[in-house]
Amino acid sequence: MKTWLTQHAQALSLVLRRFKVSKLSTLLICLAIGVTLALPSMMYAALDSLSGLANNVKSESQMSIFLALNHNEDAISTIKTALEKNTAINAVKFVSKQDALSQLQAADTNKDVLNSLENNPLPDAFFITPNKLDTESIESLKKEISKLDGVDEVVVDGAWIKRLNYLLLLGKKAMLIIASLLAFALVAVIGNTIRMQILTQQAEIEVSQLIGATKSFIRRPFLYAGALYGLIGGLLALLITCVAIVLFNQSLAPLVTEYQTNFSLSFPNFLACVIICLLALIVGLISSYLAVSKSLFKSMH
Amino acid sequence: MITFDNVTKRYPGSYEALSNVSFSIEQGEMVYVTGHSGAGKSTLLKLMAAIERPTTGAVLINNQNVSKIKEATLPYVRRKFGLVFQDHKLLYDRNCYHNVALPLAINGITGHEAGKRIRAALDKVGLLGKEKVMPITLSGGEQQRLAIARAVVSRPSILIADEPTGNLDKNYAADILQLFNAFQQVGVTVIIATHDALGNANHQNKVLQLNQGRLVSLNQDKLVNSETLT
Repeated sequence: MKTWLTQHAQALSLVLRRFKVSKLSTLLICLAIGVTLALPSMMYAALDSLSGLANNVKSESQMSIFLALNHNEDAISTIKTALEKNTAINAVKFVSKQDALSQLQAADTNKDVLNSLENNPLPDAFFITPNKLDTESIESLKKEISKLDGVDEVVVDGAWIKRLNYLLLLGKKAMLIIASLLAFALVAVIGNTIRMQILTQQAEIEVSQLIGATKSFIRRPFLYAGALYGLIGGLLALLITCVAIVLFNQSLAPLVTEYQTNFSLSFPNFLACVIICLLALIVGLISSYLAVSKSLFKSMH
Repeated sequence: MITFDNVTKRYPGSYEALSNVSFSIEQGEMVYVTGHSGAGKSTLLKLMAAIERPTTGAVLINNQNVSKIKEATLPYVRRKFGLVFQDHKLLYDRNCYHNVALPLAINGITGHEAGKRIRAALDKVGLLGKEKVMPITLSGGEQQRLAIARAVVSRPSILIADEPTGNLDKNYAADILQLFNAFQQVGVTVIIATHDALGNANHQNKVLQLNQGRLVSLNQDKLVNSETLT
């Protein structure tokens, strides 16, 4: 256990010493990785904030329940109790057909049309506010209410929210695709860097092998280098993302006041930061492993 | 300690570098391997040090058959040897101290203990004052001594040197051979390949003479002094 720790400490300090010697090139490589990773991170931040916005708007959304014209009087009270008992519903408001008609009559433009009607064409209606706002629970609530006796039609207001959600889903998929493509780019960048380092360390590698170094002893510093490139690149990506968000929010502020909302891009949360760094580290590790196993032991018989 | 049993080594697409070589070396012996260049000296040493495996036959190191050892355990076999290479193979990107530190790092020895051993090894070869010097600034003889310091720092029981006096003038060569004699006297098995004069070799030494991959004489007690090949 102790030798194991010593070996790893040894490899890590060797890598850090090498980084220190070639500060500028290390910084440039990490920056390249950081910029590459910043792109999907920023997309993630934007999508995350937008879906937050969509959730906010949804809380104002309603469902309209129109009753059949020929329903009997009992239906209204049965439906009302059913709706009030339903835990998925937050608020219930009843508007009778007379109320609806008088509301319409209150508006001047409709008077002529309404006067020409012999009887009231409007149905009784309930307006409800659901508790849960995601598409699935709204759909199931809609089905449930449609089954009630005397209900003619259930209309969900704000179909555009549905569309926004689909767009966000599309955006998330695009982000995933771009992120995985960029991951391949990272494998190439880190792999090439490690290959270059192997070339410059060729003499040391050769001698070490001749005097009894195991493969893992030789491989270890390169794996650490790859993982560290990834980790530092990930941290730089977070930094770039945060700076971009701050700049963006500054310009966004006057725009959103015009719309009287307080939308702003939110910073990635702690978990997202950890995940980004971890993924970067893993990509670094994998790419250096590939580079090392391809070019390190070629010279050996 | 080291036994060759009918060893043949053929490199791919090449003639036999060694054919049917058999001999054995006991602990604490001083052995010279001689012959013209291309006679198979380097191949012999590589087989001894488990750097190469024989095509046929068996190489036994401490009764372990090198051909049957798993690839992954070969490095541990190699650590028993101190190797001095024909071209030194010093690392020119670091100073003398760190050159000698390499075998210790491979063995997992670092810190204070490593420092002590490195200085002892440098002291033994007379380079103690040059710890911080880069090897490129050393003379040929000094570079050779640095290579020897690196070979002995992990206290191997077998020291193998390929042409250690090859490019040195006579005085330096004598110095170096003196150094190897000193190691032999403390119980290290020393194996030296040379195409050079054996004037300094003493008469108890074993000489393996190779000619075109064949062992032509295994001379234990009689060293022909006139056999100086230059």
